[in-house]
Amino acid sequence: MRLIVREDSAEVGDYIANYIAKRINEFEPTAEKPFVLGLPTGSSPIPTYQALIKLHKAGELSFKHVVTFNMDEYVGLPQDHPESYHTFMFKHFFSHVDIPPTQVNLLDGNAEDLIGECKAYEEKIKKYGGVELFLGGIGEDGHIAFNEPGSSLASRTRIKTLAYDTILANARFFNNDISAVPRMALTVGVGTVLESKEIVVVVTGLRKSLALSKAIEEGVNHLWTLSALQLHPWALIVVDEDATAELHVKTVKYFKSIERVQDEVERTHAELRRRNKNAPKQVGSME
Amino acid sequence: MSSPNSLLCFTNCLLPQEDGSLIQKDLWVDQAAGTILDAQKTFYLSRERPTEIIDLGGNILSPGLLDIQLNGAYGFDFSIYEGDDQKYRDGLHLIAQNIVETGVTSILPTVITQEKTLYPKLLDLLKPYTAPKCATLLGWHAEGPFLQIAKRGAHAPPFLLTAPSAFKTFEDVYGAANLADKEDWLMGCTSDTTSGVRMITAAPELDGVMDAISEVTKRGVVFSIGHSIASTDIAAAAVCNGASLITHLFNAMPQLHHRDPSIIGLLGASSSFSYANFGTSTPTSGAFSSGGAPALSRTTSKGSLYKATSEAFDDVATPLGSPVLRPQAETVVGTGKEEREFKRPFYGLIVDGIHIHPNSVRLAYSAYPEGCVLVTDAMKILDPKLKDGIHEWRDGKNFVKEGDKLYLEGTDTLAGSAVTLDKCIRNFVQFTGCTLGEALKCATYNPAKCLGIEGKKGTLRAGADADLTVLSKEGRVLGTWVGGRRAWEVEA
Repeated sequence: MRLIVREDSAEVGDYIANYIAKRINEFEPTAEKPFVLGLPTGSSPIPTYQALIKLHKAGELSFKHVVTFNMDEYVGLPQDHPESYHTFMFKHFFSHVDIPPTQVNLLDGNAEDLIGECKAYEEKIKKYGGVELFLGGIGEDGHIAFNEPGSSLASRTRIKTLAYDTILANARFFNNDISAVPRMALTVGVGTVLESKEIVVVVTGLRKSLALSKAIEEGVNHLWTLSALQLHPWALIVVDEDATAELHVKTVKYFKSIERVQDEVERTHAELRRRNKNAPKQVGSME
Repeated sequence: MSSPNSLLCFTNCLLPQEDGSLIQKDLWVDQAAGTILDAQKTFYLSRERPTEIIDLGGNILSPGLLDIQLNGAYGFDFSIYEGDDQKYRDGLHLIAQNIVETGVTSILPTVITQEKTLYPKLLDLLKPYTAPKCATLLGWHAEGPFLQIAKRGAHAPPFLLTAPSAFKTFEDVYGAANLADKEDWLMGCTSDTTSGVRMITAAPELDGVMDAISEVTKRGVVFSIGHSIASTDIAAAAVCNGASLITHLFNAMPQLHHRDPSIIGLLGASSSFSYANFGTSTPTSGAFSSGGAPALSRTTSKGSLYKATSEAFDDVATPLGSPVLRPQAETVVGTGKEEREFKRPFYGLIVDGIHIHPNSVRLAYSAYPEGCVLVTDAMKILDPKLKDGIHEWRDGKNFVKEGDKLYLEGTDTLAGSAVTLDKCIRNFVQFTGCTLGEALKCATYNPAKCLGIEGKKGTLRAGADADLTVLSKEGRVLGTWVGGRRAWEVEA
């Protein structure tokens, strides 16, 4: 696992956007071989989306051959409800970039057969050959997607009951009316996320600092589902200074040294690729 | 993959909202259907996104402007019919085609008082009309002939009438077919008819007019109070009967008197005030009246011989001795009697800086912003390119145009205006200190709501007609779109 520390959420957004752009462009996606991108909602990834839109408008990044899968959606909330994740994605990202609507996938929280919907979603991901890069965020309790504390770390896409913490946290989006917050959601499982080739997680703000510490400084634990990342061979967490508040100085220093090594390795590998086209495209994580 | 489609995306623009705010957002329209799209639904359900994208460079993309009081423009007068239907229709087309340069995409042609036999023909010619790249002609606005002679302004006194047989007289004058139920009225109309509108401006204190209001409005015709000396009681009763608009507020009506604020005073009415007693055709013992007669009769409607010289600046003399009001009868709550909410009428304002003092504009707007409707009341010489000077009007009379001022030659009678609606918007911002978004609302959403067509016009709601006006942040019109197609663009 790698941890990148940046000054604030805007810099975190820029870093991740540039990183994703580099990955997509190096992948050289085509209609036959699209880049499959997993996407989150919530306030933490907004700066990332803004930076991605900026790159797109500057002509440096196209989503023409990108296929997206979103992590989750509320159950029973109308698709055009201002707080639905359909609305969020359209408003903050899809409407601003050139992604064809046919290549966008979100769980349908209003499906008659919710279990069937989840199964079909998993199958669709498989049909595309899996997710190339899953971008994620976390809740204050360390949940990734709607995999609340206690979720199985082998879980797949399914119906999930929201934790009381999450309902409270989301009430601000529903006129502070707790009763208006949906109680259920459809979400990809921890297992689904772990199966993607690469995982990038954004963690910003002081309120997420305990979750970050639990996820990377302690053992794999289903009460902090983000900790499952420890089992993944190619995971990247990008955080701002505030989010490091609960980490040991030693931990932060160690990860900062990894960043320098990674930069150097990538530079030398790019050099190698220039001379030898057969060298592997991606270097993966150096850690 | 999306294939080429008829969808168009306006981006990098500010969209005026129905609450008067401006927000940065894209707008998607379907050029084939000529309507505004629900972008999110189009994306997720139709699985389409616009092929064509137009960058508006940070400018404002407003719903197209509506002018519900326009007498003519570009040399054509809606009130002049010379016996040739085709010539009249050509005149309509000429205006519809040119007015888009002022940002206006919908107009309600206004016909001033005519010799009564002319109405059936004229109004029949004013069926809704749409043509490519042209503003929509919504129908007609008959200003007259049931007007108060003391407040006639530029209307010809010999043609003014009362309505002794109430609605029957209205039918006799306007033609029964023109006052038919909306569906019958639109029968055989080839144009898009969903936004067809009819409006009558009349003085409710005139014999028979009050009795006609409910019948008129029942048939979908908007009733507007204007050219009137109605007392507060009568004006309120007219509203209870269905009147929903005041024609050119402050002009051709009694000025505000604190004890009998008359028509203008309606802007101050509370929704909870009980006007239940005014629901009848002849107000008798309303909360403010005493005995059987209207409390405040400054002047009687019949036989009034006031000589009006100007729509704008004349005034009925305030009678000696201030009127005495009885204390308001105690309102009994919860008697089971039907309680109706008093709904203040919309009001048209001519914000050319001449017809109404800026302070009065702000006073009215502060009192009731949601009811404010900007109108030009412009005459046939409205043409942004026309020079000042003397111009021909009708019946051998001439206009004198001085900037936006318009007089009958040899008098100081204001005879409508020559101001464009976009200029009214800029004036309005200056006079009231409101935002451009709020001013635009008074020329888009408010007039559309007043006409009951806010689902199709004056709004950026999904499903509405894609009639759009591009304005700079200073309120200059840069371009106009009708039905999703470019109708006019400023020369670079």
